[in-house]
Amino acid sequence: MALSRDELKAAILEKATNAPKPQLYVKDFYACDPEAKPREVKNAANDLVKEGKMTFWSSGSTTMYAAKGRAKDEENR
Amino acid sequence: MPKHDTPLLDELEKGPWPSFVTDLKRQAEKKPECWDILGQLELSFKDKITHWKHGGIVGVFGYGGGIVGRYSDVPERFPGVAHFHTVRLNQPSSKFYSSAKLRDICDLWEKYGSGMTNMHGSTGDLVLLGTTTPNLEPLFYDLTHNLNQDLGGSGSNLRTPECCLGRARCEWGCYDTQDLCHTLTMHYQDEIHRPAFPYKFKFKFSGCPNDCVAAIARSDFAVIGTWRDDIRIDQAAVKGYVKGEFAPNGGAHSGKDWGKFDIKKEVLDLCPTECMWMEGDTLKIDNSECTRCMHCINVMPRALRPGVKQGATICVGAKAPILDGAQFATMTIPFVEVKKNEDGEFAEVVEVIEKIWDWWMEVGKNRERVGETIMRVGLPTFLKVMEVTPVPQHVKEPRSNPYVFWQEDEVEGGFERDVKEFRKRNAQ
Repeated sequence: MALSRDELKAAILEKATNAPKPQLYVKDFYACDPEAKPREVKNAANDLVKEGKMTFWSSGSTTMYAAKGRAKDEENR
Repeated sequence: MPKHDTPLLDELEKGPWPSFVTDLKRQAEKKPECWDILGQLELSFKDKITHWKHGGIVGVFGYGGGIVGRYSDVPERFPGVAHFHTVRLNQPSSKFYSSAKLRDICDLWEKYGSGMTNMHGSTGDLVLLGTTTPNLEPLFYDLTHNLNQDLGGSGSNLRTPECCLGRARCEWGCYDTQDLCHTLTMHYQDEIHRPAFPYKFKFKFSGCPNDCVAAIARSDFAVIGTWRDDIRIDQAAVKGYVKGEFAPNGGAHSGKDWGKFDIKKEVLDLCPTECMWMEGDTLKIDNSECTRCMHCINVMPRALRPGVKQGATICVGAKAPILDGAQFATMTIPFVEVKKNEDGEFAEVVEVIEKIWDWWMEVGKNRERVGETIMRVGLPTFLKVMEVTPVPQHVKEPRSNPYVFWQEDEVEGGFERDVKEFRKRNAQ
């Protein structure tokens, strides 16, 4: 059974916090709920950014997601 | 007074062409951080490596695109460019700026940034070059509240949609490119401002096959105006061109004497499908063979015009040469009428877009453009997803594989069979 939006967000945040790589592509979150459509996963991840729990990291051409504080930025490189 | 010696960059000021180095030096008199751009670039030329770090986390609240973080990796030597983020603006359709708007944008950028812009350069966007993190939110506030303008797309987002001048200034526009561009920009605000895809995705809209925004070469989703009936011919005007009464190409090549206009040499023999000929002084066209190259129409605009049953062809999957070389878009939907429904939406176009996105979001790999996904899985698979019946124009070359891969629904009885019954008949 597909996860609820809140459960999906919790699963995404858990993965973003504990994955060995600090920055993940949106597709890396698809496995959090294999039954959810990619668009639902994307919307849930973007919600977490809006709530300040995750951040976007962008090279300019690609965007990745990171749990707050894990992304590479100018201070921790 | 120059802050850094730049002998290598100074070479770029020689010669008859405008030089960005000269522009930067002039701007540096007002904005001292521009000296540090010159200094860092000189160092990059010397070291043969960029001194910009890769990417960053900057942005404005609620948006996941439009700002590209740029940081120097030698900030102690060039403090003026320690943070030097770029900002992409969503331009008006067809780039119809008023001079007042351009002045406002320049004033805004003098206030919050370096004052340097990249005005619709190779990215296609209006890019404002160089500001600091604390300036981003105030800049965004002024841009949206005072200039009534928005950020464009960057990263794995839908990029700023772009269209040609279209019917606003061009007699060949086969649909209203500005309306389609603006309507889809408003429809897909979420996709423009927040990442949604495995990689970037670009829309471009050209009103006719001249394709002035190079949609077929540069966009993942190219909507190119076309017609499905016959090219309109004014035979009297054809005779006028032959007699030399009208300048060919609308007089575009009148700076030099190219001799008398020769319709055979300059039009008929250059038709890529050889579908034009003269019968006496009457021009004939086999329209079923026309590939919409636009050459004849461009040369004799008074005599030839696109047909009246107008719409667009949708091509999918162009890209620049990052992986596997550059790729043109593949013709996917031969003809679609580009019309709004009663809800003010281009529903037919939207349906095609979302079918592509739903599939690509699922199947596309990270950092894979939709054209690369199509190449990987094969065009037949993509056409099946799009529920498009293949037509001869989809075929790139005669097949070289001797096997026929039947689908189950094409075989009587499907792929199920009674193995025991089969073995009874075929037992050794």
